[in-house]
Amino acid sequence: MGRYVIRRLLQFIPTVFGALFLLHYLTSVAIQLTGNPVRALFGDRMPPESVLRNLTERLGLGDPCLEQPFSPCLALFTQRLESIFLHFDFGTNFSERPVTDIVAGAMPYTLRLTAIAISFELLVGISAGVLAGLRNGGFWDYWLKISTVLIISVPVVVLGVVVRDFVNLSFGNWLRGLEAVPDAISRGVFAPTWTPNYPLASLIIPGLVLGALQLAATARLTRSSLLENIRADYVRTAWAKGLGQGRVVGIHTLRNSLIPVITLIGTDIGALMGGAVVTEGIFNVPGIGRQVFAAIFTGETTVVIGIVTLLVLVYLIASLVVDLLYAVLDPRIRYD
Amino acid sequence: MTNRWKLAAGVAAMSLLAACGGSEDDGSDGGEQAQQETATGGELRAYLSEPDSLIPSAATDSESNQVLTEIYRGLTINGADGGAELAVAESIESDDNITWTVRLKEGYTFTNGEPVDADAFIRGWNFAAYGPNAQDGAGFFERIVGFEEVQADPPQTEELSGLTKVDDYTFTVELNAPFSGFREVVAYQVFAPMAEECLADTDACNEMPISNGPYQLESPWEHDVQVVLTRNEDYPGEDAGFADRIVFRIFESQDAAYAAFQGGELDVIDQVPAERRPEAQAQYPDGYFQTPNNSFTYLGIPDYDERFSDVRLRQAFSLAIDRQAIIDAALGGTQRPASGWVSPLFEGQRDVVCQYCDYDPEEAKRLFDEAGGWDGTLELMANAGAGHETWLQALGDQLKQNLGIDYTINVDQQFAEYLATLENQEAIGPYRLGWGPDYALMETYLTHLYGTDQSSNYFGYSNPEFDDLLKQGDSAATVDEAIGFYQQAEDVLAEDMVAIPLWWGTQTVLYNPDTVAELGFNPIDYEDYGQTVLKQQG
Repeated sequence: MGRYVIRRLLQFIPTVFGALFLLHYLTSVAIQLTGNPVRALFGDRMPPESVLRNLTERLGLGDPCLEQPFSPCLALFTQRLESIFLHFDFGTNFSERPVTDIVAGAMPYTLRLTAIAISFELLVGISAGVLAGLRNGGFWDYWLKISTVLIISVPVVVLGVVVRDFVNLSFGNWLRGLEAVPDAISRGVFAPTWTPNYPLASLIIPGLVLGALQLAATARLTRSSLLENIRADYVRTAWAKGLGQGRVVGIHTLRNSLIPVITLIGTDIGALMGGAVVTEGIFNVPGIGRQVFAAIFTGETTVVIGIVTLLVLVYLIASLVVDLLYAVLDPRIRYD
Repeated sequence: MTNRWKLAAGVAAMSLLAACGGSEDDGSDGGEQAQQETATGGELRAYLSEPDSLIPSAATDSESNQVLTEIYRGLTINGADGGAELAVAESIESDDNITWTVRLKEGYTFTNGEPVDADAFIRGWNFAAYGPNAQDGAGFFERIVGFEEVQADPPQTEELSGLTKVDDYTFTVELNAPFSGFREVVAYQVFAPMAEECLADTDACNEMPISNGPYQLESPWEHDVQVVLTRNEDYPGEDAGFADRIVFRIFESQDAAYAAFQGGELDVIDQVPAERRPEAQAQYPDGYFQTPNNSFTYLGIPDYDERFSDVRLRQAFSLAIDRQAIIDAALGGTQRPASGWVSPLFEGQRDVVCQYCDYDPEEAKRLFDEAGGWDGTLELMANAGAGHETWLQALGDQLKQNLGIDYTINVDQQFAEYLATLENQEAIGPYRLGWGPDYALMETYLTHLYGTDQSSNYFGYSNPEFDDLLKQGDSAATVDEAIGFYQQAEDVLAEDMVAIPLWWGTQTVLYNPDTVAELGFNPIDYEDYGQTVLKQQG
């Protein structure tokens, strides 16, 4: 087990290097093809040449290779690796705010948002899946099938805006008009957008919206996986032994049915963190997604590289954790 | 109190007076004074998107400016009717418009207790102009003697030789050439004073500014979340703020901000999404305020290209464009047609300067034929990714319909690349570009764009008569006199049509009439939240 983990961790190194180089190359080519993004900061006004030169230099974009289309800019790449790995310096954005500060500031919001989304998926998704699986062909089963198809077919852009405008705004405004409702509910949970006055409460609804899409997938996967296992020999044996329903379903069936679900949710963590762009935008949550989205538009390569590298790490770690969880769920799987 | 636009009816002011008892004695001697005494207090929550910086010389964006105008005070401020009013400066005088003597008022201090004296200004300006500091606003100091030296690579010296301290509260500024708009220029935030403690650690000063204005930061800047200001009770100026606190809530998207406004989380937003404007106007008739703003969009003619050298051709282009139709059809009615080169909010602007800006297809066709027509395909250019395709297409269709020209549109280049193309004079047809003012003098719309060899003169335009009129304006004894010359210079543009005026943007402000009594506003900074009066609750 220990050796397996070490081997996997060692595999991280080439992956991260590869990702860093791809990011470096893509962002460099973007500058080479579309021009110095620092110039765009000044808009229609041409700044004195010396001002432009000084600022470009200061922001680490002064390397002449950034003017030669498709040049890999290897010198700039080694320079970047050096400052990242030797000094833990990811550079700054165009306002000279260190990327590490930006990530540290934005990360907690995205983590909380992801945690809410994942808990929602786990709790509601798995319960609904189990319920539907046990009553195959019954009311709950049909209800689950229909409602999940509805959720899956609505893109998150639409779902988010609809929830914001009808739940947070229309219903929320009605709540805010009632004196009996405490502020933490009317101005917190149902705040029109995320608010620093209730930083956690106002994340709940955005978190539910973010989790809704995968919730449908989780529920359906749990249902079908459970249906498959519930007819298996060992489950029949368990029933025949006279075990109670809780033990048969909870321990014997569900545990085995969860393997594909865990895989789904593991890859989901990375997807949710990156995919929070839309939800964070709609509800104005100051998280990672919002930062990377803005950075791509302004051409702040350092921010893009910093945040995407971090997301790569999150993916890698999440997939490692998922693999380790297999062993927990299925004793037949061993890592030696 | 002249520096505010009264938006709310006088009724609001009267009810304020009535509501706040105890001021009956003052009520008779000037309503304004009494109002100032009674109208303070409350918390104003305003929309902001993430500012670039809270170091004045590093911030040239409008968002930073909204915060900085409340927390810093420079020599002058932008007045409500255009033009500058003295702030920290007691007087700013010059005999020749080259050497300006600045005398400061005493008694202003930074929030850490340091005095705002001649050193504070010289320190701030030297920091801003020094090349290696790489401040975005450094370019604004280019008129001051010594700018070349501090910007050289490597810099020859650290200080602007044009700044000389006379005594603790007096200093002189020497310019490269006469310039009558010095008072107006220094109202811009990049000319703010700087405390010694701020210079020692500018990063800390960016997070928690050591400032000298009517407001100060209550707590360090919470990036992407909010900037919270409280009134600076030690501020000695006459333009002290009204609200006790100003909370700038930071939003990434205008759409989310609009939702927050509808949900009562914000009192004012100044960025209403274009598609929401009709709805907002209907829903908040008492809180909807719209005015043309200073954002100028024009169609530039490559003057370096001989095919465009006949002015009648350019005049014909301009006459063939139905601006209002394009605005209504392709821009959601969010712009106002332009018929001049200077913002409608500026002192010295005239309603009609451009006699070729009204839609007149017959006259256009006549001039077009006189000029000998146009051979080949006309390429119209704009930058990519900003939604310019639609209206540019509409404009091309009008040219085709009225003049019979074949056209193509080129919107392939991202902004940085696009600007490089224009700078290198590689544009082969009319191109879109915009302009915003740097200071409250109409000259800001003229020199940099159309002066011979000026930095943003992408046209390659050069007209000695125009340059000469600007020079006369720059040397004029008073601003009024200068404006006379600048207007004549604008008339030259109206004949040469090197930039075809298209339209002005609009500033749309939405405020909650239940909480805001009166919105502070000036033509340069737009909303002035420190000068905004809130309704007092209870």
